[in-house]
Amino acid sequence: MIEFINNYVIPGLVLGSIYALGAIGVSMIYSILRFAHFAHGDLMTLGAYIAFAVVVAFGWPPVAAMPLALVGTVAASLAIDRYAYKPFRKSRPIVVVIASFGVALMIRAAIMLIWGVQPEPYVEGINPPLESFEPFRIQEKHIVIVVVTVVLVTALHLLLTRTKIGKAMRAMSDDADLARVTGIGTERVIAWTWVVGAVLAAAAGILTGIDTLLKPYMGWDLLLPIFAAAILGGLGRPYGAILGGLVLGVIQELSSYPLLSDEPFISPGYKIGIAFAILVVMLIWRPQGLLRGRVL
Amino acid sequence: MLSAERLVGGYGGADILKGVSVRLDPGEIVVIVGPNGAGKSTVMKAVFGLVTLREGTVTFDGAEISGLPTEQRVRRGLAYVPQERNVFVTLSVHENLEMGGFVRKTIPQAVFDRIYALFPVLAEKRKQPAGELSGGQRQMLAVGRALMVEPKVLLLDEPTAGLSPRAMDEIFACIKAINAQGVGILMVEQNARQALGLAHRGYVLATGENRYTDTGAALLANREVAESFLGGGH
Repeated sequence: MIEFINNYVIPGLVLGSIYALGAIGVSMIYSILRFAHFAHGDLMTLGAYIAFAVVVAFGWPPVAAMPLALVGTVAASLAIDRYAYKPFRKSRPIVVVIASFGVALMIRAAIMLIWGVQPEPYVEGINPPLESFEPFRIQEKHIVIVVVTVVLVTALHLLLTRTKIGKAMRAMSDDADLARVTGIGTERVIAWTWVVGAVLAAAAGILTGIDTLLKPYMGWDLLLPIFAAAILGGLGRPYGAILGGLVLGVIQELSSYPLLSDEPFISPGYKIGIAFAILVVMLIWRPQGLLRGRVL
Repeated sequence: MLSAERLVGGYGGADILKGVSVRLDPGEIVVIVGPNGAGKSTVMKAVFGLVTLREGTVTFDGAEISGLPTEQRVRRGLAYVPQERNVFVTLSVHENLEMGGFVRKTIPQAVFDRIYALFPVLAEKRKQPAGELSGGQRQMLAVGRALMVEPKVLLLDEPTAGLSPRAMDEIFACIKAINAQGVGILMVEQNARQALGLAHRGYVLATGENRYTDTGAALLANREVAESFLGGGH
């Protein structure tokens, strides 16, 4: 049982935390701006590399570089919205989706030009040993990932329930037309949606980099599970996205549990396929997601 | 107070409004009635800036507002309650009211108190999500939400649509009470007889044009209006 938790549940929650951070942004952008943001994964990558630049320049640990990287990613996302998405505010959603696809390619290409295509670690050297919380074994970086996620999600919760702009974000994600006739400043809400989305995306990118390595494709590769998590939880439901991320992370890890024999139940190579399968199943049987979100 | 002159326009396709004019004097209740497709709701939307106008002007409080975005119209004291989907279902009752006052820097507690006094049932359910309210309660919340800016004029699009007769009476009583506090009310109503009974003046529209304009009582007494537009004579 303890082994099961150490080898499957804890890694699942760590992976799920990263999915959750990305999925919240995708979910909120979908419900407030009405389009699937294909550049979200690359926004994560961008955040991770800005933190890398800070780490290299000042010699800080990656977690200390996080605030600067978050600010940089927010600025980038606001500029992207202004120049790539805002001109299409009144167009059909598919037009903006294609624009975001283009933005994704541009961000990735810029990262490859600036930082190269080789995988890079934040800090050279070998992994620190496992922290021991007998009987559990947890790596220090995994504690960092979960703690950062909990802090950010708590901050998001306070924003959405205690502040005027947060409530307006929920209102607009509930019904954008009604928000407009109510007199809610929709462009201001949109700007804040990018702030929230970019902060969480950049954090997810940095945490992925801390967990493994920085790669120009790291965010793009996470896009499918992140969309799956957002849909699993219910689009437009930030808490659903958190739930969807954690559930998906744990299911992906559990899929390689040796259920029937000594062999993994499903080869770990197919982990990403699990997200795809969940996406398909949800879209067919419960498109509104676990927490009754919007239907895609 | 509020005047829409010779409005021509629609939603991008064919014109729905073909030269409609409506006027609301301070403190009045004005009701727009007419058959389906007459452009009643479209007039309301045009006044609030939700329709593309090809011709015509809307003036409010002495200034032309035809080109203003809706947010600016709200700031000037015009509030609109759409017919359907008029509350934020995942927000609590109280949060719905807070959103109604979004354009204000701070909302005095007295404003909340006045609305809760007008609709005591909302005070009881202030923490419940609006999606859990009954049809009549939702309509009350939608009106309350619009009142948060303390508007000079309230635009109501079929406030009693789909309600039980009892809930309908309650809403009409509330509309009267709100008007008694000095808020001008322009509304579209299916339930024409009851609404005209309440109205200072009324407009009968058909096919995007004005057909009859008179006091509410005179329109009710007019045989032609009664036969063609109010479903049978007296």
